[in-house]
Parts: sequence; structure tokens; C-alpha cells
Amino acid sequence: MGTKVFFSTWRDEKIDNRGKKFEEWEESAYNLPLQYTSSQNSKAFIGWEGVALFSDDVDVVRLATEYASQYQKYSEACGRCAPGRWGGRILYDLLDKIARGEGEFSDLEHLKEVSKTMMETSKCEIGKTVPVPLLDLMENFSEEFETLIKEKRPSKDYYHDIDYIAKVTAPCMDACPAHVDIPAYIEGVRDLRFDDSLEATRQTMPLAHTCGRVCPHPCEDACRRDNLDEPISIMELKRIGADYETDHGLGFIHPATPKPKIGKKVAVIGAGPAGLTGAYYLALEGIDVDVFEALPVLGGEVAVGVPQYRMPIEKYNKDIEAVKSLGVNFYTNYWVDADKMREFEKKYDAILIATGTRISKKIYAENERPEIQGYWGAIDFLDKINLYEKYGIKITEEEQKKNGLTTDYVDLTGKTLVCVGGGFTSMDVVRCAVRANAKKVIMLYRRDEKTIIRNTSYEEYHEAVEEGVDFRFYSAVEEIIDENNVLKKLKVNKFEQKPNPDGGRPKLVKIEGADYEIEADYLIPAVSQSADLSFLPPEWEIELTSWKTIKTNGRDYMTSRKGIFAAGDAEYGPMTIVNAVGQAKRAASVISRYVQTGEITLTDEEIMEDHLRSLKVYNKNEPIRGWLGGLKREVSEKLPVNERIDNNREVNLGFTQEEAISEAERCMRCYYIAMVAK
Amino acid sequence: MTKFYIDGKEVTAHKGETILEVARREGIYIPTMCYISKVSPIASCRLCVVEVKGVDGFVLSCQTPPTEGIEVFTNSPELFQHRQNIMKLYNVNHPLECGVCDKSGECELQNKTLEFGVQSQEFSAKEQYRPIRNWGKIQYDPSLCIMCERCVSTCNEAIGDDAIELKFGGYSSEIVPKGSDVLECSECGECIAVCPVGALISTDFKYSSNAWELQQIPATCSHCSAGCNLFYEVKQESHFDNTPRIYRVKNDIEHVSLCGAGRFGFDFANSDTFGDFETAVSKLREAKTILFSSHITNEEIEILNQIAKTTGAKLVNPEARKFQQFLKAFATTSGETLYNGTLEDIENSNQIIVIGTKIATDNPAVRYAITRAYKKHRAYISYLHPVFDSTLQNTIKQFINYEVGTEEGVIALLADTLITNSNLDLDIGYLSGETNIGEEELETISKIGKRAKNRTLIVGSDLITHEKSENIAKYIGLIQKNSNVKVVIVPPDTNSLGVALFGNLADEVQAPTVGYNIEGDYTIASIGKCDFSVPALNQQEGTFVNIDKKVVKTNVAVPYRGKNLNDLANAILDNPKRWTIDYTSELFGVEFDELQDVEIVSKMYRVSGDVDEVEELPSFDGAVVYNSNPFLQFNPWTAKAIEEKPYLLGAKQFAIANKLSDGDMVRFEIDGEIFIREFKIDNSLKGVIALNPIFDKGLRSYKLLSKYRFQRVQIEKVKSNGRS
Repeated sequence: MGTKVFFSTWRDEKIDNRGKKFEEWEESAYNLPLQYTSSQNSKAFIGWEGVALFSDDVDVVRLATEYASQYQKYSEACGRCAPGRWGGRILYDLLDKIARGEGEFSDLEHLKEVSKTMMETSKCEIGKTVPVPLLDLMENFSEEFETLIKEKRPSKDYYHDIDYIAKVTAPCMDACPAHVDIPAYIEGVRDLRFDDSLEATRQTMPLAHTCGRVCPHPCEDACRRDNLDEPISIMELKRIGADYETDHGLGFIHPATPKPKIGKKVAVIGAGPAGLTGAYYLALEGIDVDVFEALPVLGGEVAVGVPQYRMPIEKYNKDIEAVKSLGVNFYTNYWVDADKMREFEKKYDAILIATGTRISKKIYAENERPEIQGYWGAIDFLDKINLYEKYGIKITEEEQKKNGLTTDYVDLTGKTLVCVGGGFTSMDVVRCAVRANAKKVIMLYRRDEKTIIRNTSYEEYHEAVEEGVDFRFYSAVEEIIDENNVLKKLKVNKFEQKPNPDGGRPKLVKIEGADYEIEADYLIPAVSQSADLSFLPPEWEIELTSWKTIKTNGRDYMTSRKGIFAAGDAEYGPMTIVNAVGQAKRAASVISRYVQTGEITLTDEEIMEDHLRSLKVYNKNEPIRGWLGGLKREVSEKLPVNERIDNNREVNLGFTQEEAISEAERCMRCYYIAMVAK
Repeated sequence: MTKFYIDGKEVTAHKGETILEVARREGIYIPTMCYISKVSPIASCRLCVVEVKGVDGFVLSCQTPPTEGIEVFTNSPELFQHRQNIMKLYNVNHPLECGVCDKSGECELQNKTLEFGVQSQEFSAKEQYRPIRNWGKIQYDPSLCIMCERCVSTCNEAIGDDAIELKFGGYSSEIVPKGSDVLECSECGECIAVCPVGALISTDFKYSSNAWELQQIPATCSHCSAGCNLFYEVKQESHFDNTPRIYRVKNDIEHVSLCGAGRFGFDFANSDTFGDFETAVSKLREAKTILFSSHITNEEIEILNQIAKTTGAKLVNPEARKFQQFLKAFATTSGETLYNGTLEDIENSNQIIVIGTKIATDNPAVRYAITRAYKKHRAYISYLHPVFDSTLQNTIKQFINYEVGTEEGVIALLADTLITNSNLDLDIGYLSGETNIGEEELETISKIGKRAKNRTLIVGSDLITHEKSENIAKYIGLIQKNSNVKVVIVPPDTNSLGVALFGNLADEVQAPTVGYNIEGDYTIASIGKCDFSVPALNQQEGTFVNIDKKVVKTNVAVPYRGKNLNDLANAILDNPKRWTIDYTSELFGVEFDELQDVEIVSKMYRVSGDVDEVEELPSFDGAVVYNSNPFLQFNPWTAKAIEEKPYLLGAKQFAIANKLSDGDMVRFEIDGEIFIREFKIDNSLKGVIALNPIFDKGLRSYKLLSKYRFQRVQIEKVKSNGRS
């Protein structure tokens, strides 16, 4: 990595190449945004942890002034604490006074004094950190400041047009694939203004009910509070705003008034999280959206994959209704094939493919044949359970026969079910099997307990254990044994973990002689899923990734064919809901411009978002100032095992108000502002 | 319990308490500007930062709970300097025109500026044009506003109106009506009360007095049974007229939230002196019945008792009598003379069930307690009433719309739901059908109840005035006795509970009658044209029993230049007393001046009664009106203090059903009382029941208080609005 810099105080480094030849410049260890876009370089980067100059001719006084000015602009979106509100204004006024050649030496003293109070007493990190690079510049380039004051002249670029692009971020927002304004929705909870909380969420995340319940919350791994005690329970605080809207029948709270229709049409293929998100943000832009869904129900995997006890369909339907309320048209039972795609391409201004990954991958055991009765792909297994439990859609006799059932719903009484997996899908399989009254439910996983928790969540794993799922680690099926195409037994290998001499992930080594057999009625492969892309017209020659998903550059989400976009699992491979939401939100933004201009563009906000993501906002080694540590993270109440094991009641009861407020008050509001000079 | 240290003193925090709360409890001073204890910490002023040993930087004490053993320091030269800097920032461009500011002399910005020795302003920012906003009774000047957000939090968390919000704008931030250009709210004026500076002020009070010239008289609000503690602020009328006048009402903002009637409806002192004293005395002597209302102090009740005892007259108060009988029937099944809940219980509830009241206007203090329960505990609130109240939409989660007149069936179903294994032999199918309450709605109440630690049932006057009130009361008694649900029966009028407890009431009215603050053959009243004038309740000292069953005191805010009930009594009774409050000790065994923290304790009985079977439930067809007053009105005294035009309010549906248009003049009759009202369509209403205010009916309104509030009426259009 490394970036060639002229000067940098970023994070802990101190690089000063003044007086050195360009070739001798010391490099920064950080992935700083030297290249703003492929065609344009930046001159400087300034942010919460310092400043980096990429060339020797940056007007530092103007840079400082503009940074203060950007903060001033930010604080116009806030202004909720005395030091931030007025301090920010004064910083800017004083710096601008110096930059335009009217400064006094006493102004420097005032700047330092106001900076100090802001750094010690501001409400958010943004107020606390804005003075950091300003003081850096004033200290390291004191001559520049003093000269302007002495000579009463404006700084060299004061009257020149220079682009300064700023972006507000936070470690959690940066880590969230959908870049949800997390501190804002937590503040809504803290302030008991749940409508404001939801409005903040919906800016980038329409599925507030869903991602307030079943998000794997990568944000919590980047929560700065973890540097002090424990991360905030970010995910669960999200559902409070959504529940408020639903509970009081308030009508849908949108982040903005939908724009008037602009006469453009977009087809969205698939009504899962990515499709819904794409449709939502396109509709907000005044675009007509038709969503085509192959299943009889809307919602994609969250509807037919994620079980009711984890994600009640009534709640998910509220998220879907929020999308519908913008006038999006949905077509269910609508299978899109290559001909349809050709037709759509003519009929619509753009197409967003969001078909997910709905083919269960094989586990690569001997005798692994789909025709064996009892060998049942996880996706289809969960489809059948969820379609019945959530929508009352019964299993046809033909399907019953195929899967060895005698009822029109999945009843596993007296049966042993073995699932091979380790991710969320496999957790859903085993916990659904428990609720379907299976005699025994076994989860085979190739690696250890720690890894399964990392791949899913602590809660999910422990709840499954509580419900009686028999987890067997370091285990894999070697052979499937059937009688007349009916599953009988599985031959299982045991492994042990050996450190990898080359470093990296430890190796799994088979333990000889430790094989054993399990008598089983069902084997559910839930290791991963792949995308069914048979509907893509072959002559379009849409480029795929090496793991057979649709290829895009991961920034604008356009496929190799103009006007055809892809987001969610179909693009990324099986991943999280929030990842699908983040991609689709970005794709919708790109599409909304594309349908009007025919150009593929990113906004400065989006470019900065990507730069910051690659720089990484969260610094887990940073010590925390101004907060008392040792305050425990709240844990919401769960339905006791005996009350949940035989039904679909929602397991997580959510935070009580007291818990929610106390959790929200732990949030340190780690907003930061970053700025690039072009 | 967390043990820790503040400035070296060992202190203990209860669960959920913050460092600041503990410090305040212990009498240790930490400066604040935005903090107010009745709402959650706002955390905008940052003055309350403290040092904690071993912690880098400063910790915000208002929202941080302490951890075991920490050592907190509330002051140091460095803290002082930061706080001083914050005060300097607060003073940036704050107009220094304190001489013309209403707040001067009681301004927290002034106080803190002096406290932190800010002598001069070394920096400033560009001036901006910030026009003053006029919001009816409230005026907002953004250039004086320091953005502490107390008003916003109070409006949202303590009141529940959620009518104002912060318009983000950094240096140009301001407070604006939420989602609207005009302020639409219940006009409680709490935003004025909590404003630390002169940004939010009362339009009426503006420029009328300096704060330090006003004398504070502690008193109890006499408008409803909440009996809120308030202060009348009094000074002379003018330089030329020494007559004392009430200029405004203030409240202890940390602990009390007033409604608009309490705050703005203070100007009801009686200046009339109609009638001849001797005639009044003889009328009282001759009266066979003394009628009176519950707009009365306990001492006056006792005086009436004694007069009646001496003259042999009967005391009649139909409204309080109903309440008294309701409590009596309640006691037969509950085994207690009184309901067991309080406003505090409501506030601490996780589940609240409201039935038979338009609570937001019937008793604002109860509404505020409900708001706080929702905000603090996200209480699950079920609101059972035939009329939906959109005021409460952001608070209640379940609105159960029962049929008018079926309250007996509703309460039976509720008793069955709230009491585990109730053994009530109910025909659920019939009751559910007639009341229009679905079984799944009751199931929700029951399901929520299983997880709710604290539960409260709030019962309003629709049940007390109901034809089947006795049986209804018995069902409520059963609930109190046999469930973990606390019960609050909202006393219908200011001192209904006092009258029910102390009044020797009879039912029958015999002529000749004397009415005391109610119409009689001879009327003695503290308002308007009557046969003999007496002082209003803000001109009297005495006590009330409020909804919390507490005996609360009120004092004379302004003098009355005529005679009062005690003077009349002294002419009749053998044992005259100098002052009305000489009766206080007879009631409570303690002199008025010494009286404090007296609470009426429920007497325990053996359960003696059982509920009757619910027989056929009535049905109400045709045009139905519901007697209920708007936010600022309760009675003839609020009507006198706050000018307001009464309207018959109905939903569009009501207009269509009764062939009315907005602006039509209509005429209808309830129990002999003729109403001629302008009809107005209110889009926040639903259904076919119109709201009919009665506050403008003078003392005649008291006749209606004892009547069931839903009434079938014949609506006659007397004048079209000309548009239709």
C-alpha cells in the first residue's frame, strides 16, 4: 500500500518531506486518497486524525479555513451542543479572517483556546476532532499563518477556485455496507424521537424492521465504544423506530418527499432485499419501477429463507409496504427468462438484476445425488417451511413424496436431520427442524465453535444450542449411504486443526480411524449457495466472476452490458442482507443518473465513501477520551427455550425502553469529517 | 447500588441514576444549563462535565451512570475554564438588552454568565436577521434562544404534544413548529416555563412586569382534580392602583407540568359583590336543600355540613354523589374505600388501560403521566373509548372503539381479561358483539399484561355517570382486588373526591334550595351575576383532595372585598370560626399552617358484594354528542379567564350523517339545556359522535356533570353557513 506524501500527520505518523526531492519523499503507511478518481489526483487530505499534503504547493491556510468551513456546514445539519455550534462558527470566522489577510496575532490565541474547549467538551467526536488537523497545520506551518497576519495579505489561493470535497463519516457508518447513519438513529432513540430515528435509518436503509432484527451487524465490529468497554448494540436499536411507526399507525416515514415522476422506467428482477432497496430509492427519485418476482410472495430470502421466529413476516411486510407506498409495481409468480430480459431491455430504461443465489451447493460427498429421498437442499427446505408457516402455502403431494413427507407441511416427528453448514442458513435449517419436531437435529461443521460464532453470531449459536441442536465440530460427510434411493446413513470424517506452517488459516487434517456413521432421515446441505443465471441471454455475454456471479466493478454495479445492473447476492455471492441493501442503494443512485444522462457516474459523496472505506475509518488502537468506561452493553430479553421451542414466536423480545435508552446513551457519536482538496 | 465518590464524599447511586442525579441528591453542585430532571438528559450545554480520576478527558455527568468506586471531581481550575469558555460561547451575539427582556432577573444565562465571571466578549460571529415568531399565546425570539432544547424535550417527553422541534442550522438553528408552519398544540405553555432565557415567553405577560417585582403565592390549581401545585405571581395593578392582580402563573418545572388552563386561565378572581348578606343568611337558614358543586375546598364542605346539620337542610351534589356511590360500590368488591393507584403509578407503568374518558382534556396531569410512562418505559397503552383522540396517537398503541352505552359490558370483559382465572361467568360472545370489542383485542391486553411489571387501569367519568355505574364499579373493585393492576378512578371535578369523602350528601332535592357555585332558587357563587357573591378559589385558602388522594393546600392570591361562606356560616352556627381554615384541623387533626403530606388512606373492608350479571346492553342510534371541553377549558372560571368560542366539533362522517356543513349553526337540547353552536368539521376526528363543549354554560354546566356524557340529540340546523 502506502501513499507518496509531501507531508502527513495522519493517525500516528509524522512525515515531513519539506526540502526533500520528490524521489526521496517518505511514504505514508496509509491508504490515503491520493488519486481522487482514475483521472484526477488530490492535493491534500484532511480529517479527524491529521492532515496529509500530496504536493508542495498546497495553500495550508486556505485548507484549514475550508476544513473549518466544511465543519461549519456540517454543524448546520446539527448544532446541538454549545461548543460545537458556536465554536465551529468562530473557528471558521477567525481562520477566514487570517486567510483573507485581516488576521491578528490574538486570533491565533483565540483559535487555540476555542479549539481546546471544543476538543474537551463537544458532544460528538466531530466537534472534538475538527480542531486536530487545524492545530497540526497551525503548529507545523506557523510561518505561513504568521506571514499572512504580519503582511496583512490574503493567502495565495484565497481567491482561486479549488474544489474541496468533504464527507461526514463514522467508524460504524463506514463499516456498514449500507453506510447507515447509525449515530443519528441512535440519537433518535436517545432523544425519544423515534420518528427521527427511523427517518435517519431510511436514508440508506429501507428495511429498518429487518435490519433491526437479523443484520449480522458488521458495524458493531467497528464500534469505537469497543475501545473503551463493549460495542454498542447498534443493530437492535434500529428496530425501535420501525416498531414505533408500525405500532402507532403513523403512515410511512420516508427520508425525503418522493420526487415528481421523471418519465423513466426501470425493471428490477427479484423482490428480495436488494430488489426492494433498489426499487425504493429509484422510486424516491421519481422513477417508475416494476419489480418481477419468481416466487408467489415478496421479500426474497428474508421471506422464504429467514424463519418466522427470527424475522416475523408481519414486520417484514411493513418494510415491503413502505416500498409499495411509493407506487412501485410488484409482479409475483413472474419467472423472467432470457426472452423476457430481451423484451425488458427494450421496454425499460435500465434493468437491475437482484435475483440472489438460490441454488444450494453440494457438499461434495460420495454418492451425493439429488434424487436420494432425504437429501434436501437448504434453500428448498426453508422455502417449504416458510411458505407454509408465514403464508399458509401447502406442500403439494408430489413434493411431499419427493421429500418423504406425509403431511402438507414439514413435520419431522420421529426423524433425524443432519445439516452440513456453519453459516446463517444452516442455523435457520437446524432451528426450523427443532420447531418441526425432529427427534434429533445434528449440525456438522468442518471447523470449530469459535469460527461458527464468527460466521454467524453469538446469540444465534447459543440459542440453537439451548434448543437442543447437537453441534459436531471438525466433522464432514464423506459418504451418503442410501437404500433404494432413500437416505439411511452418513459416513462422517473427523478432523483436527493443525497450524499452517506458511501462516494463515490453520489446516484441517483428517484423524485416521475416527470415522463414524450417523443414521439419518435427512441430510440438508447448507454450505453455500450459487446463483441461477440461466435467464441471462447468452448473446449478451455478461461477464461473470470466477465464482459464477455477475461481475461489476463493485462501485457503480453496472454489468458488462450497458444499462444492465446487478446487486445483492447475484453480484457478490451469498452474503448479508445489509450488503445487498448497500449495493442496491448505490446501484439505484447510479441508475437514477444513468436513465437521465446515459452516463455512469458516482457522486462526490459516493467517491469519498469508497475512499474512506479503503482507508478504514475505525482505528481499534485509538484510546478513548472523555467517556467513562465499564458501562455494560445491554442485552435484550429472549423468549425462554420452553416458550419458543415448539412455535414460531419471535425469540428476541427487543430492548425495553430503559435498556434502549441506556444503550443509546453509551453511543459516543463518533462522527468525523474528512475533506479532499482537488 | 453503586458506591462511588464525588469530591471525596462517599455516595451511592441507585440503578439507572446518573452522576449528576446523585450529586443533586447529595446536595453537591454541578452547573448545568440544559438539564431538567423531568425529561431525559439533553446533553447540549456540556457545562456538567466533570473529572473522573484515571479517565482521560472530561465526562458528561448528566447522562453517565457511575461505575463502582470511581472518584468524581466536580470542580478544578481547568473545568472552570472550560465552563467559562462555554459561557463565552453562549454569549456570542446574545443581545445584551436585558432591560427589555421578560426573563431578566430570573435568567439562567445571566446567572451563569456572572457565576463564571465572563466580563467581556472577545470573539463574535456574523450577525443574522432572526425575526420573532408569534405562536398565539407563545412568542419565540430565536436571537435570544440558546438552543438548550429544554422546550423540545419537555413538549415531547413530558407533555406528549411533540409540537416543536429543532431546525438544524448550526449557528442559525432555531425552534420551529414540528411539521407545520403554525404551532398546533395543546397550548400548555410548558415551553415558556422551561425556557432558561427570554426566548420563549407568554404573549400576554410580555412587558408587563419585571420578574423581581412579583410576589409568588404557592397554591393549587382549581381547574381539575389533578390539583397541580402552582404559583400565582402577583403585584399591584399599576402605579396608580394598588389592587393586587395575578400577572402570571409559574410552576416548579423540575417536578410539575401544568396545562394551559392552569397556566393561562388564572384571571378568574371575583370582583363582584352582589347581594345582601342578611338575605343570604336567611336564604341559607330557610333552605331545605343546599345544592353545591365540587368546585369547593374541603373546609367549605365542612362548613356546609355544619350549616346543614344546624338548619336541617339536605346537602345535594349530584356529580359528587355519583362518585361517592361509585366508590361505595367499588369498596364492596375491592375491600377498600379508595382506588389504589396514583399519578406516579401511572408514570411507572408498563401497561396502561384507559377507559371512559377523553383524558387529554379531562385531566391533563393524567395524560402527562401516560406520556411519561410511554416515553420512559414504552408502556403499552390501550385506549378504550367510542371517540378516537388523535392527540394521543403517538402514545397509544391500541385504540379500542366500543359502542356508546356499553361500558358495563366493556368493563366486564376487561375484568375477565385482567384477572387471571377470573371465574366470571360471562357470555363473551354476546358482550363482544354488543360492545364491538374483538376477543383478539382483549387477548393482546392479556398478552402484554403477562410481561408488564407495572400495570394501571384509568377509569373516567363516563363510567361514573353511567346508568349501570354501580355494577361497573363492582367490576373495577374486582380488578383492584384480584389482579396486579392498579386502579385510578379520575375524580370528575376539582374536589369531587373531597366532597365524596367529607360531604354528608343526600339525593333528594326539596325546595327552597340554595345553590353554592351551582344554580339554586337562590344562588351564591364566585362567578358572574348571582344572588350573592363569594370569593373565587384563587381568593381563598383551604385544601382539596386531589387525584392522588393527597390533601393539598391553596392560598389567597388576591383578596376579595366581600363576604365568604364562613362569614355566612358564622351568622348561622353557634360556634363561629374566624377563618375558613379553622375547619382544617377539624377535618385532618392538624392546623392549616402545619398541614403537609397528608394523604387519605383507604379503609379496608371485608369484601361484601359481588358483581351482577351484565344484562342487555343499550344501543345508541342517531346523532350522538359527547360533552367534552377543549384543551384550555374546564368550567365557568376558565371560560371567564380565557376567551374561547365553543364549537360543536364533528368528523366529516358526522357532518354527512347529519347533513351538516362546516360553519352551520345548529341547535340541540340536552336535559333541558339548549345549545346553539356553530358546527365545525374536525379532520382529526373519526366516526359519528360530535364533541360538545359545556364550559360556556356558566353554572348550568354543573347540571350536566352528573349526566352520562354521551347524549342522543336532535340536531336542528338553524342557520346555514351560506356556502352550501
